[in-house]
Amino acid sequence: MLFNSIPFALFFSLFFLSYWVLFDKHLTLQNLLILAGSYLFYAWWDPRFLLLLFGSSLLNYFLGLAIHRSGKEKTRNFLLGVGLVQGLGCLAFFKYFNFFIQSFISAFSALRIRSDITTLNIILPLGISFYTFRTLSYLLDIKRRKIEPTRDWIVFLSYVSFFPCIISGPIDRPETLIPQLEKRRVFNYGQASDGMRQILWGLFKKIIIADNCAVFTSGTFDHYTALPASALLAGIFLYTIQIYADFSGYSDMAIGLSSLLGFKITRNFNFPFFAQNIADFWRRWHISLTSWLTDYVFTPLAIYFRDYGKAGLIAAILINFTAIGIWHGPNLTFVLFGFLHGCYYIPLILRGEMNKKEKMRKDRLLPTPAAFGKMAGTFTLVMFTFVIFRADTLSQAFSYYGSLFSPSLFSRFAITEKVNTLVTLACIVLMLLAEWFQRDKQHALQIDFITQFPFRALIYFGLILIILFFSPTINADFIYFKF
Amino acid sequence: MKNKFGLFLYKILIFAMPVFALFEILFRLGFTPVITNSTLFDFKMSEVQKHPIHNPRILAIGSSITLYELNSATMVKNFGGSYYNFASWDLQIGDMRVLLNEFVKEYEPKYVLVCSSIADFISPRNESYLNYLNTNRYIRNHFPEFFYFKGYNSIHQIIRRKYKAYRADFDPWGGASLTIQPKDINLDKWNEHDIFPTKYTKGQYDDLDSLGAWLKQQHVEFIFAQAPIKASYTNTLLSKQIIESHFDKCKSIVEAHGGVYLNYCNTTIFTDSLFFDQYHLQAAGGAILTNEIVTALKGIIK
Repeated sequence: MLFNSIPFALFFSLFFLSYWVLFDKHLTLQNLLILAGSYLFYAWWDPRFLLLLFGSSLLNYFLGLAIHRSGKEKTRNFLLGVGLVQGLGCLAFFKYFNFFIQSFISAFSALRIRSDITTLNIILPLGISFYTFRTLSYLLDIKRRKIEPTRDWIVFLSYVSFFPCIISGPIDRPETLIPQLEKRRVFNYGQASDGMRQILWGLFKKIIIADNCAVFTSGTFDHYTALPASALLAGIFLYTIQIYADFSGYSDMAIGLSSLLGFKITRNFNFPFFAQNIADFWRRWHISLTSWLTDYVFTPLAIYFRDYGKAGLIAAILINFTAIGIWHGPNLTFVLFGFLHGCYYIPLILRGEMNKKEKMRKDRLLPTPAAFGKMAGTFTLVMFTFVIFRADTLSQAFSYYGSLFSPSLFSRFAITEKVNTLVTLACIVLMLLAEWFQRDKQHALQIDFITQFPFRALIYFGLILIILFFSPTINADFIYFKF
Repeated sequence: MKNKFGLFLYKILIFAMPVFALFEILFRLGFTPVITNSTLFDFKMSEVQKHPIHNPRILAIGSSITLYELNSATMVKNFGGSYYNFASWDLQIGDMRVLLNEFVKEYEPKYVLVCSSIADFISPRNESYLNYLNTNRYIRNHFPEFFYFKGYNSIHQIIRRKYKAYRADFDPWGGASLTIQPKDINLDKWNEHDIFPTKYTKGQYDDLDSLGAWLKQQHVEFIFAQAPIKASYTNTLLSKQIIESHFDKCKSIVEAHGGVYLNYCNTTIFTDSLFFDQYHLQAAGGAILTNEIVTALKGIIK
């Protein structure tokens, strides 16, 4: 049930009407509806893993209460340990087991030792990385006495499985979502309208930009050995745009859907292509994951290594970004992707500019040439790492790089879907321009400054028509579903 | 709150209604939705919706061979108007199996006639037919506009399909005899020699077996006519052996389930001048073939 599919449209329409018309006055019933809807949404893909989600949520609910009630630090640590072992253990088993086994087999065979270890046919439960991080932050925050546990099991189970965010985030923290679940929601016209606009913007980015780019990029990555370097360069440029439009489009839809239900959830992207250095980029890209790892991995590590000065900071950053890479999946490509981004931080740390925030003046129509240069530079650095991110293996990534730097960089290449390609390029420009002019807003379609409704309606209809006219043949899955 | 909620729903309707209206207008203008990845199948189904068929006694199905080579006029003249040809380009035996599962239930024919050649045994099943078959029959027949949203395709593609895709001109019984002047015959197509068997051939034999068994279960008589192949296709001993073994296989499968097996691979009657490529007969050839089939079926079809 993709957000941009008929079954989801039907599901959500019924859900939305029941939520506001039938259960409007009953908080518990509203939360029960969220829980039932979330479990139905999750089971639509694979009902087998519903039990894992339910069991894991229930265990963490009781662990949260027990940690809070316990006076002894030792017991609290033990209970937290149980939660961490359960969460990280499930993650390790479902996501990384085969990777570790295959790595052992490769290591043994390199040492000419015969190994009879077999891998298992393990299916990755959807959204496991996202909901595990939610339960972990819940327990860690209770342990740190940052929050109190919720006594209402419906609220907690709804927090873990909240359907707009369960598959691909944003990873909401307990202090953001749980209080909202505990409080009666009242239909807010302004919030709901804004939610609809954000959904429309998300659909535009996903269907028109990401899915159309996917037609070109999948062809490029599948046949890169036979294509000229110019096509490969276009491929990585479009893949960088695609992954942003795909993931931020999904996040926009998730946030918009939550707004329709009266929730304000964590922002996940803040126009990352306008970042002026790599630190700025990661403050704007997949914000909920970056801030999660900053709080629970980077900060403790930075404190631990504080006696080592800048070297300690570099070590903390490298570990943190390698963790970001590994979070994406059991593949050395992701490890290298994360590590490389960590390395990009080193010049900033050495210059003491890691936390320096580049301010973009809101009143400027265009960026200054210096700022534009920094943006383009950051984009290029990031773009080249997405070759590793997209490749199936490291050798494929290096082979792609090898093919990229050849004299055919200036030769022409064939485009099959000419109309859609032209429209996509125009829409990329439109997206970047809209986001630039709306950079101080939550999303590009917050156009309340246009006071006349007919003018706003014209823009909405324009986007709807572009979506209806130029969507590609295949609606691709969201890239982050596999994480 | 109720007023605001009502206003919100009202505004949603304001935006949704023009979208539905747009698709309805497209439908009325003949820009039919993309249902499967076969332009001809979609077109034929849309014709069937516009001019409903009333339980044909003889239901013909197959690929382009059945489409081009079964002369509708001859069939109708000899067996009455209770006949319809559901053939569409590139249908494989496996596709016929899944489509007949639905068509037999819907139209309750007494006889199913397949006019086949080796081209029906070389590719995998086309899964896109399931988009049609897995849709409720009532919705499919009365609200085909539903397909605009199910498996959504852009308006740009719908327009392009209408103007750019080649389609056959059906007669009222779904057939489409074709005459190509010798000067217009594509030489590449004329000299083509499809590789046979392929890795999908075994699966297609299994589907033929399953089709025969299922039709018998449904008390529908299965008639399988082997269509002629151009003489030059079997110009080596090996290709002759391959073709003969294919005929034997089909015959044994069809007859094992009580079906009627007919073979018209006769290069004396069907000379090269009657073809326009390796398997397809010109309209004149199709008329001869249909006459042969009709003669053979006179004792079978009552």
